[in-house]
Amino acid sequence: MGHGKYIDPFCHSERSEESYYQVQAGETLDLQFVVLPGESKDIEVKVDLCGPGAQAHLKGLYLCKADEKVNFKVVMHHRSPLCKSTQLFNGIAGGEAQVNFHGTIVVAPDAQQTEAYQENHNIVLTEQARVDTKPQLEIYADDVKCSHGATVGQLNADELFYMRSRGIPENEAKTLQMLSFLSPVIPAGREEEVEKAVRSL
Amino acid sequence: MQDSNKIIQEFTSLEYKEGFVTDVEQEFIPKGLNEEIVRLISARKEEPEWLLEFRLDAFRKWQAMPMPEWAHLDMPEIDFQDIIYFAAPKKDKDRPKEIDPKLAETFDKLGIPLQERDVLAGVVAVDAVFDSVSVTTTFRKTLAEKGIIFCSFSEAVKEHPDLVRKYLATVVPASDNYFAALNSAVFSDGSFCYIPKGVKCPMELSSYFRINARGTGQFERTLIVADEGSYVSYMEGCTAPMRDEQQLHAAVVEIIVEKDADVKYSTVQNWYPGDADGKGGILNLVTKRGICKGSGSHLSWTQVETGSAITWKYPSTILKGDFSSSEFYSVAVTNNHQQADTGTKMIHLGRGTKSRIVSKGISAGVSQNSYRGLVRMARGAEGARNFSQCDSLLIGSRCGAHTFPDIQSQNPTATVEHEATTSKISEDQLFYCNQRGLDPEEAVGLIVNGYAREVLSRLPMEFAVEAQKLLQVSLEGSVG
Repeated sequence: MGHGKYIDPFCHSERSEESYYQVQAGETLDLQFVVLPGESKDIEVKVDLCGPGAQAHLKGLYLCKADEKVNFKVVMHHRSPLCKSTQLFNGIAGGEAQVNFHGTIVVAPDAQQTEAYQENHNIVLTEQARVDTKPQLEIYADDVKCSHGATVGQLNADELFYMRSRGIPENEAKTLQMLSFLSPVIPAGREEEVEKAVRSL
Repeated sequence: MQDSNKIIQEFTSLEYKEGFVTDVEQEFIPKGLNEEIVRLISARKEEPEWLLEFRLDAFRKWQAMPMPEWAHLDMPEIDFQDIIYFAAPKKDKDRPKEIDPKLAETFDKLGIPLQERDVLAGVVAVDAVFDSVSVTTTFRKTLAEKGIIFCSFSEAVKEHPDLVRKYLATVVPASDNYFAALNSAVFSDGSFCYIPKGVKCPMELSSYFRINARGTGQFERTLIVADEGSYVSYMEGCTAPMRDEQQLHAAVVEIIVEKDADVKYSTVQNWYPGDADGKGGILNLVTKRGICKGSGSHLSWTQVETGSAITWKYPSTILKGDFSSSEFYSVAVTNNHQQADTGTKMIHLGRGTKSRIVSKGISAGVSQNSYRGLVRMARGAEGARNFSQCDSLLIGSRCGAHTFPDIQSQNPTATVEHEATTSKISEDQLFYCNQRGLDPEEAVGLIVNGYAREVLSRLPMEFAVEAQKLLQVSLEGSVG
């Protein structure tokens, strides 16, 4: 296990997927998750940061429509000092989709000088869609910098008005808004694919 | 270092000044819990038939319920048969009207005036509860002139049965959870408060709960009803003696806020937290919930939690009325072996409802401090809004701080934001204070007070001073 391991849940056909990673001293793990419309998905990922200086960076993007169900379960376990982890998951739920995001950061008693950040942002497009998010922190060491943030909201009406007053059609404006919301988590080289999926929502 | 250790030891030995026992003759009912005991409590309180039925129904439900285990707590096994469910100081037959001077002295020592005199910072009406009975309620007459009912729960059952029956268990049903069911079966005393339409309560109302007797549990029940357009500020305080055994406190608080009414509920919880080795202390397992029933109603919770061996408490609001709003401000401090799992629930049902959560956790020693919160945007919560901020401060490397938020959104126009941070007091801050002549203890006290300011500033004045001192005392011995 080394730098730049890349997995793509989109390629897997089974509905649920579990993965477990151990990151040793000095190593960096990069993971990217993409869930595009057309399937329901359960993704469970567990990362153990086992050696000093280990790092893990997780990014996730999900777009769901119709009656799809997407479940994320992420456990980031800091077992060793001086480790760093970041997580950023952005997603949009339309149709009657259901999204569950359950992310946990655990910092073990001796894992001092830990830095751990987790963010989960969601946009709900329709009245029938449902988003539940549970970002959790369990911290047993004191010399840490940990934070998490989670939001659930809608497309900004002011932005939409600004674009429409400049002649951009409503649908196009909404697409632009969604793309900019997702842009931090769109993997390089897959921009067109994501844009197509956003337009299909 | 040695010097500072000595100072710390001195401090810790005088930490809990409310830990004395009042030597007063008391009546008990037998230990244990069964239908007979429930009937006995009800008979002792001369309750009407419907209330006994309510108790028995709750008791049967409780028997079928399992003990909840989801909290992040290391809960000792509670032997419910080993608890005395009713203890009351004996009434002096010669002077039935007056308060036992020993009890008056006790409350005086705790800083709670039972005589109707003006306290320094303003006038406060107090309902003082000693073990299972209310000792006295002050300023009842003054309040009655405005139509406000403020009395002990037992008196309310006798004097205003219709009101009690109309509202009891409408916010926290008997079968709500394990401890609410237990409380519904065996509750002893508590406060009842009714503010009529359009009345602004002229003084702060307050309940003070004191556990005194050994081997007992306290099960108080508070019911607050604020009718249309009324306003009340309510405060709650509590203390208990220092004992090696753990004592159970399972309360239920229900608040009903009608259209355009405004209720402010503040708690300074200072139950005995157990000694430095985690022996003894109160198990504080409380259900508090309010409903913003009418449009434009407002409910605000402010709590400072410094005591109890175990705290299990989630003051919640159901935002049913359109454009109603609620706030939750909390400071929870744990030291030594204390454990706290506390937070709130904001259930948004109505249109344009708003809520705000500010939670500050401080853990020291080998304590565990958790925030657990639920924000739910139901389908009808058009344009509802929530903001939550949960910060944790760690003092020492052996304690734990945890955050368990749960956000559920079913409405595309609702907005929910949550953020949480965990950090420790930085060396720089400490160094800065030390350099200016503050010793480490004072420095930590200063920094913690600054950190908790946002919440402390929401407390009524009488409480704010006490709370600040309490924070300082609770953290004594945590540095060095």
